[in-house]
Amino acid sequence: MATGSDIRAALASDFTPTVDPLRAAPTPTAARATPNQPRTRQPRLHKKPALRNRGRAAHWTYDTSTPPTRRDRLQVRQWRRAAPSADSTDVEPPASKFAKYDVKAEAPSYDDETYAQHLNHPDWTKEETDLLFAAYEECNGKWPVVVDHYETSTHRSMEELKSRLYSISATLLNLQTPMTAMTASEYSTYEVLKSFDPLKEASRKKLAEGHLRRPRNEVDEETVLLSELQRIMLHQQTLDSEREDLRRRLQHPVADQNGYQYSTSQALTTLWQQLLAADRAKKTQRLRPLEISGSRPSQSAASIADATSATPQTAQAVDMSKQDLLRFGVVQAQEKLPTGISFASDKLSKPRVAKSSLQTDKIAATLAHIGVPELIPLPTPAVVEQFERIMAKMQTLLDLRKVAEKEEQELRVRSAELGV
Amino acid sequence: MAPTTSKRVRNTVVRRHFIIGNEAHVLPHPSYPDPPPDGHTKGWKVFVRPLPNGPDITTWLKKVQFKLHHTYTDASRTIEAPGPFEVLETGYGEFGVEIRLYFASESGEKAVYREHYLVLAPYGSDEQKAKQEQDNLVVAEKLETVEFNEPTTDFFKTLTSEDQFNWLKVKKGRGKGKKPDFVFEGEVEPSAELAEKPFTGVSGVGAGAGGAWSKVYEDQVLRGLAQSAASLEQAVEEERRVMEGRRKRMEELGVAVGAK
Repeated sequence: MATGSDIRAALASDFTPTVDPLRAAPTPTAARATPNQPRTRQPRLHKKPALRNRGRAAHWTYDTSTPPTRRDRLQVRQWRRAAPSADSTDVEPPASKFAKYDVKAEAPSYDDETYAQHLNHPDWTKEETDLLFAAYEECNGKWPVVVDHYETSTHRSMEELKSRLYSISATLLNLQTPMTAMTASEYSTYEVLKSFDPLKEASRKKLAEGHLRRPRNEVDEETVLLSELQRIMLHQQTLDSEREDLRRRLQHPVADQNGYQYSTSQALTTLWQQLLAADRAKKTQRLRPLEISGSRPSQSAASIADATSATPQTAQAVDMSKQDLLRFGVVQAQEKLPTGISFASDKLSKPRVAKSSLQTDKIAATLAHIGVPELIPLPTPAVVEQFERIMAKMQTLLDLRKVAEKEEQELRVRSAELGV
Repeated sequence: MAPTTSKRVRNTVVRRHFIIGNEAHVLPHPSYPDPPPDGHTKGWKVFVRPLPNGPDITTWLKKVQFKLHHTYTDASRTIEAPGPFEVLETGYGEFGVEIRLYFASESGEKAVYREHYLVLAPYGSDEQKAKQEQDNLVVAEKLETVEFNEPTTDFFKTLTSEDQFNWLKVKKGRGKGKKPDFVFEGEVEPSAELAEKPFTGVSGVGAGAGGAWSKVYEDQVLRGLAQSAASLEQAVEEERRVMEGRRKRMEELGVAVGAK
């Protein structure tokens, strides 16, 4: 963007740029816009204090020395600061700052006798063991370095070397101070040494490596699986209870109470109300409040048969002979009646449709399998009842199959776990 | 404003069976105009009929409206009582006919829709197909049962009066001034229930006239369903056995896990 001074400069070449109080420093474009004119520096607005010697300058020396931690007498030239104030704390050469990290690894030593007695091992010769211990000491106990350092004809993995050393250490420790005499810390060390399992370590390291190198989609897949597992664990309770419920439904329930308390019709009706109320509380209702025949509790059938027949029918508003009733198609219904007009053929078609299309397909497949035609053109009450019975059984079957799938999955998972 | 609902008969349901269906013929056919309109290969009749031995359908059904495919002129055909509730047409394609049933006013009920798919081509097993082609008659019917739940008292009265069967009976005059005696002369006793055996209906032979709807047929259907129920039982048993086996395996695994 052209600034004001640019324009002025372009228009009038002998126009000397003045100090613009709004702009502190000269802009480079302003300077460049006048190539024929010499650059003039703008004076500073504020004053910088002149340089001053703040204190005595530190004295540095450039010497050669050997780092204390090295063994090979290397001569190194370094700038080192001479003592700034002579009475300060000990001045160590910088290199020896790192001396504290020079930790020596302590490996127990043994002599030939002990070796012959306790430390013999089919896979390890004495030379190899000695070499291992020497390497361990030399490399300060850093295992990656030890592995590199340790060179024999047979290639040994880090875990093997570790296990050998640890087992020897454990045995030697045990020899020195028998187990009973060990202090707590010694004992814990002993335990740790003894419990080194090379195979487990190797697999653990492989697992960690695999984790490191996982591709993106595996990570996503794993998160999805973990969340699903969490969901399953959360719902384990409800799943188990559902399964138990299903099993109970199939089996003949065992009476745990005396049935004679329900032998009066009044008691029976109260029992029926209780069952109905309990059933209403459940998610899917199995009891139909219509027919009393569907409410058979699991007690003595005889007393119940008497009681139900004694249960008073609701008052009939119609007085017709039985034959007339049949002729005119009048039916005395029991409990709940839908209002208005209903069609019987709906009772044959509506149960086939479930909430999800997948369920509907399953139902259709099962019905076809057992031979129920798709269209039943005759919806008489007997047919409707038969059909409803079939549908109820089919619900059970489908529930069973669903539970079967889940259980199979679980079994597979568990047996896979065990197999590993 | 609708009148206040009259008292209803509690805990009663009145059931009426009726037939919704259609007949189809390959043109030319004597029932249909000749020559047939261009492109129309089939003549068909869609109807709502009572059972041939049953009470009069007009007792409760006052009007039927057939909604044909929109390509037909006057796609909405309304038939009022008493005429036979049928629509004769020619065409070439099958479609769903929406049937609207208007009930008698004393019932106080709104109209209901039922759907019927018009079948023109022979269907079923090969034998059935062959027979249909031979007779040049394809019939597709369904027995519908309308259930009047807790009908009003007026409606109930009409539904239970003996007059409903008058259409089946033959008038036998007893002389002037006296009420004619209605005597039934058909084979089957009139009843709202299904006939015991299939019989030739009032208006013609077997299938098309609804005479095939009988208790015999009902037994057939029931037997078929009973068989299906039996095989279903088997399937359930099978599943249960498998479930038991699975439970044992679960227990075993549980033990094994615990032992590990």
